[in-house]
Amino acid sequence: MESVGQGVSILWQFSFFGLFDVTITETTLSSFLVMLILIAASFFLGRNLKKRPGRVQVLTEKGVTMLYNMVESTMGKHNLRFAPYIGTLFLSSVLGSLISLTGFFKSTTADISTTLTWALITSVLVWYHNIKNKGFFGWLKGFTEPIVVMTPMNIVSEIAQPLSLAFRHFGNVAGGGVLMTLIYVALGNLSAVVLGWVPNQIIRSIPFLQIGIPAVLSIYFDLFSGFIQALVFCMLTMVYVGGACPPPEETQKAQ
Amino acid sequence: MYIFGESGEFISVELWTSLFTLVNLLILFFIMKKLLFKPVKAMIDSRQKEIDDLYADANASKEDAAALKAKYEQRLDEANAEKEAILKDAYRKAQLRDEEMLREAQAQAAKTLQRADEQIAMEKKRALNDIKDEVSVMAVDIASAVLARDIKRNEHENLIDSFIENLGESHD
Repeated sequence: MESVGQGVSILWQFSFFGLFDVTITETTLSSFLVMLILIAASFFLGRNLKKRPGRVQVLTEKGVTMLYNMVESTMGKHNLRFAPYIGTLFLSSVLGSLISLTGFFKSTTADISTTLTWALITSVLVWYHNIKNKGFFGWLKGFTEPIVVMTPMNIVSEIAQPLSLAFRHFGNVAGGGVLMTLIYVALGNLSAVVLGWVPNQIIRSIPFLQIGIPAVLSIYFDLFSGFIQALVFCMLTMVYVGGACPPPEETQKAQ
Repeated sequence: MYIFGESGEFISVELWTSLFTLVNLLILFFIMKKLLFKPVKAMIDSRQKEIDDLYADANASKEDAAALKAKYEQRLDEANAEKEAILKDAYRKAQLRDEEMLREAQAQAAKTLQRADEQIAMEKKRALNDIKDEVSVMAVDIASAVLARDIKRNEHENLIDSFIENLGESHD
């Protein structure tokens, strides 16, 4: 039970030329790994593109087309420039969640530091575009709408937005991991009970129920949850940022 | 450096992890944009454009072909009408010419026939005159031989001529 509820531990710390201490956690390691995998994948998928595509290129193009279509339907045609960021975020999130399936690395998304950073990027994008479109005071004035009494509520919701985004993703992935650990332990104990009558000490200690059953559950808690949470995170990012970037005609009308 | 919680806690925010996550995501964004999204999207767009162009070309060609077909069909109709008109004209002309030739031939034949008749009549007349002359000479010769004496030739010739004349009239 020792690993249940266990947060991220520090791998090593070193001093950066005596100026400050740099901490490398398990999440940081996974994050670098995810980055390297995705860079390698981009390199291999993005080279030798042909007019008459091969099988791999067809799949790549299908994925990119789906991404662009999704961004276009959620954010509008004028916001297509966000598609590469959304795609990067989605792939980082999916791979970051799935990397725990290797058994050696922790999910990057099972650490609130990661999801909170991503959520804050979304918020910064929203704030930046709101200030750019309405001006700084126009943005501040937006908090008093529709009536002045709503101002504290608006401020809270503005702060709650990145927090809920971060905790939703983190909670699902980390919770899935915790659940999987609990299921493993429970199944181990159950098999010990079931095999309690066997006199042989070695056979009695085989946690046979841990074979197969966790794999099926892992499809839901790790694979499915990883994909769904990445999708939800990206969808919400698109909706929030898309809301801050209205179509060009509406901006002109407002002025 | 922990902003919230501490190492090993379930909910803990570590500054360096956040910083690395941010930097990694940004690096990943730029690299993936450059290596993957932009080239693939450009390829998809260029192919789409090519297909659109091809379709536009094909449609234009089809329209051209249809226009040409209509034009040629119209020309064919015109040519057919012209052909029919020419044939009709030629037929009419031929008929006219036919009739004219027939008429001419008939006229010619009539003329020839008439000439032949005239010639026959003339020949007949001449022959009759010749015979008349001959018969009168012969008659005189015979008569003189019979009478064995010379009689007045002119008197007798006139006599015989009148006789023959009477004879010819009665014969006609």
